[in-house]
Amino acid sequence: MSTLLAAPPGTIPAPTIEYTQLAPMMLVFGAAIVGVLVEAFAPRHLRSAVHVPLTLLSLAGAFALTILLAVDGTRNVAAMGAVAVDGPSLFIHGTILVLAFVSVLLFNERLQFVSQAASVPGSTEEEDSLEEGAVQTEVYPLALFAIGGMLLFSAANDLLAMFVGLEVMSLPLYLLCGLARRRRLLSQEAAVKYFLLGAFSSAFFLYGMALIYGFAGSVDLAKINDALGSASGRDTLLYVGAALLGVGLLFKIGAAPFQAWKPDVYQGAPTPITALMASGTLVAAFGAVLRVFWVALGNLDWDWRPVMWGVAILTMVVGAILAITQTDIKRMLAYSSIAHAGFLLTGVIATGGPAQNEEALSGILFYLVAYGFTTVGAFAVVTMVRDAGGEAGHLSRWAGLGKRSPLLAGVFAFFLLAFAGIPLTSGFFGKYAVFAAAVSGGATPLVIVGVVSSAIAAFFYVRVIVLMFFSDPAPDGPTVDVSSMGTAAVVAVAAAATVVLGVLPQPVLDLADAAAHSLFVR
Amino acid sequence: MTTHYLVLSALLFSIGAIGVLIRRNAIVVFMCVELMLNAANLALVAFARMHGNLDGQIIAFFVMVVAAAEVVVGLAIIVTIFRTRRSASVDDVNLLKY
Amino acid sequence: MLSVAIFLPLAAACVLAALPRLGASAARAVWILVSAAVLGLAAAMWAGYPGGVAYEQRLRWIPSLGAGYHVGVDGMSLPLVALTALLFLVCAVYTGRDTPRMPAYAAFFLFLEAVSLGLFAALDLLLFFVFFDLSIVGMYFVIVGWGHGDRARSALRFFLYTFLGSLALLLGFIGLFLGGGTFDLVELAARPPFRAEPGIAGLVLLAVGIGFAVKTPVVPVHTWLPPAHTDAPAAGSAILAGILLKMGAYGLARVALPVLPGAWQRHAWVVIAIGVVSVVYGAFVALAQRDLKRLIAYTSVNHMGYIVLALGAAGLAAGDERARDLAVTGAVTQMVSHGLVTGALFLLAGVVWDRAHDYDLTRLGGLAGPAPVLTALTAVAAFASLGLPGLSGFIAEFQIFAGVIGTGIPGAAVAGAIAVAGVLVTAALFLRVLQRAFLGGPGELTARFTDVRPRELLAVAPLLALSLAVGIAPRPLLDLVEPAAAAVVTLVSR
Repeated sequence: MSTLLAAPPGTIPAPTIEYTQLAPMMLVFGAAIVGVLVEAFAPRHLRSAVHVPLTLLSLAGAFALTILLAVDGTRNVAAMGAVAVDGPSLFIHGTILVLAFVSVLLFNERLQFVSQAASVPGSTEEEDSLEEGAVQTEVYPLALFAIGGMLLFSAANDLLAMFVGLEVMSLPLYLLCGLARRRRLLSQEAAVKYFLLGAFSSAFFLYGMALIYGFAGSVDLAKINDALGSASGRDTLLYVGAALLGVGLLFKIGAAPFQAWKPDVYQGAPTPITALMASGTLVAAFGAVLRVFWVALGNLDWDWRPVMWGVAILTMVVGAILAITQTDIKRMLAYSSIAHAGFLLTGVIATGGPAQNEEALSGILFYLVAYGFTTVGAFAVVTMVRDAGGEAGHLSRWAGLGKRSPLLAGVFAFFLLAFAGIPLTSGFFGKYAVFAAAVSGGATPLVIVGVVSSAIAAFFYVRVIVLMFFSDPAPDGPTVDVSSMGTAAVVAVAAAATVVLGVLPQPVLDLADAAAHSLFVR
Repeated sequence: MTTHYLVLSALLFSIGAIGVLIRRNAIVVFMCVELMLNAANLALVAFARMHGNLDGQIIAFFVMVVAAAEVVVGLAIIVTIFRTRRSASVDDVNLLKY
Repeated sequence: MLSVAIFLPLAAACVLAALPRLGASAARAVWILVSAAVLGLAAAMWAGYPGGVAYEQRLRWIPSLGAGYHVGVDGMSLPLVALTALLFLVCAVYTGRDTPRMPAYAAFFLFLEAVSLGLFAALDLLLFFVFFDLSIVGMYFVIVGWGHGDRARSALRFFLYTFLGSLALLLGFIGLFLGGGTFDLVELAARPPFRAEPGIAGLVLLAVGIGFAVKTPVVPVHTWLPPAHTDAPAAGSAILAGILLKMGAYGLARVALPVLPGAWQRHAWVVIAIGVVSVVYGAFVALAQRDLKRLIAYTSVNHMGYIVLALGAAGLAAGDERARDLAVTGAVTQMVSHGLVTGALFLLAGVVWDRAHDYDLTRLGGLAGPAPVLTALTAVAAFASLGLPGLSGFIAEFQIFAGVIGTGIPGAAVAGAIAVAGVLVTAALFLRVLQRAFLGGPGELTARFTDVRPRELLAVAPLLALSLAVGIAPRPLLDLVEPAAAAVVTLVSR
């Protein structure tokens, strides 16, 4: 951008855009725009039939393109320094796309999403729309926009692109949160909370970006890192700016003390959207956190590390302890997601020499894959256990599920054991990889806290298992809805991934190692 | 000179942040967020002047676009819940706790 | 052959878990058949044991973490593998058809059997940890699902203690991996990590030690044990005491001694002190119990204390080497003996519960009248447990005391002498149990008693017969254990 000033007046040099390297992202955004056009022009009864294949094909296509890019081996910065195409970003893109694909399979607009978002709950208007059989098919393009935003957010190489990615990811999610078919008040409330807090945090991110720009004279991550050594006398700008940026990013991963939105939003949002947020958003946000703290502020690690220690400890402890008191299954999973964000943060802190960074990065990447699959699977199971009034959220309703539907309860128990990090599940190797990196990075006390809180966390996971298998079922207990092929497929895929990553993690570990090998491009 | 703009921008940002924390009406809270965004815009433009490059000014345009999108989404959400509740107070949004 | 023995019960457990509608008799039949097959395999392995590390198998598993599937048995693990196979078969025989949710119960026990065999055979730390952790999960569900009394609470306490311990263990293993670059026990023992950094070695030993100490258990981290035993089903208690407790002591001998010899030597006195405290504390607290099962649980603390004491003495590099060999041999023998005897005692306690639904010693009395066979069996088990000559407990404890005192170091001699006093207390308490519950006038619950049923006799008798066999003719066992014990002592003396 600064080249604009240098050019002679009257001519504007055209920016170079590496279309092939940006292809996955552009495919997703393109499909989203086509989706909007479908909404506008296709007759109502055809929309769903067009959207589902369009969404799934574009995600699969983007995944294929990502694989091609990874095989191709180019690692550079594309689009005038705005987007990084490197090992970690390709790995994260692949992860997000697969997880998004599975999450979209859970979408079922007749069951989970409101018939007409604008109608007031309980009004005649709503009854009319229900009678008409109206469905809100906008969820598909909205989800595609959010997924595209995730891709941009995690791969952004300057703070502006990151901010745009953050907003493109968040805005559709705010809307999607409010579209639950059942318990609409709860859902709308979740949307308001998520929106106000999200907008608040992105304002922090933006102001932090402004201050960093004031410090470095650029928002390019590599140039900020260069400026850490040369620009002096403006340290206040740097520290305040870094802190504000951190607030914005930590909010997105749900780290304490910025975790308050997570349980509310996870509980209120339609479960497929929760699955998408719990997997995709978390992965993307960790990609961004790593890029900001390792690339832009890499030379400042002595300053941010103590703060991150505190945040990581608080996050793990808060997540693990508050989860114990929960009575709603989705809220419990939300707190568990907070605790897992804390475990991942221990990996973020474990920086050091290049070899150390590689180990930590590969551990984080593996953890993200392992956790993403398990969490999508767990939420998929949640969508299947249904009461008359929608999903059976309250934990007491899950009592005795093992007798009613042993297979489903068994799979869910397995997911919970994976969350707890029991060996032979993917969670064990994820935790192992991150903790091993943290120990060798000199963060042993942090790992001890992590170990203690994972023991606390394990307690409430096994409590749910005991509830499912050793309590007597309620006479009017929930039914298990196995009608949706998509949901069943998601549960099967997630269970398979959890087993395979737990028993034979080597291929994925190799992949994560290879992705981490080059670290981030600068 | 830059300092004056920065102080003004910091003041605006603080007013916005405090407003978000203490005001109870969702629309006012939302306006305070917008104030924070604009404070950032002011800082960006001031810094662009200080550094003598145009990056900051261009970023300010981006922020305006994003803020406009945010208004659309935000008002949609707030209006929906207002129609349900006949109230835009965030204190009434209290079904989800702990 | 070893891998077949590990995975056969696992496969059977999966089959049983997949067929929850299977009848109780069929499930029990599967359980007994599979356990018998495993015992057959173990016996065949014992018969064909060539010495050294045998039946070794090594497969690549996770090369980038330096972990592989590496199993094998030596003179130290083979007796424990055999003990595991036997005890699980005995529990299968003991369990009646009227157990609720029989297929699941059998599946959990088969799962535990696979896990225990895998743990004793593992020669790779990560594999070892995987089995260690899974044993906790399996036992937790056994207690919660089939226990009695305040089972949820007891199981929770068991889980929290041992799971936290296992995570400390994991930290220690990560430390060993970072120091040695591999998880392979054989390689780690050949090139012990942290030779030059005593501080780090001490910390790693602390982490590993905590993990094993909770499981063993030693004072002061034993408090999970009594409630877990009291509320577990009889077969669960027998497995918990007979096999799972061994995992802690076996882990110390298998991992801590050979891999961290320097640190073990430096902190040998701490270990000895903990061992002596466990011996004395376990004995005296057991003396004060009114609840039969709690009493047996505390004698476990006492007996495991002997093992820890012996392993601590093995680290006294200044001591006489042959005496230390003797101590370690005694420790392994004690593991086997305790598994046989305490397994039998808990099964007998299960008979008491089955008849009276109470463990309160003050309400029992004169059981010799209605149940003479039960009385005889309990008497033999009690005498074996208190170390009467001619039974296995005597051989083991005698070797431990002779070894510890024979090191020729005054401190060790004092520790050994104090520990001998522990034997007196256990003798007193077992005699008191026999006198109060089985002899003397009838108690208020005595009327409910009938003598042991055939399946109960069939379960307990082999254990006591083996204890007697080891007591009278210990040579076959000692021939197996002694070379392995000497190898451990050589490794720890480096």
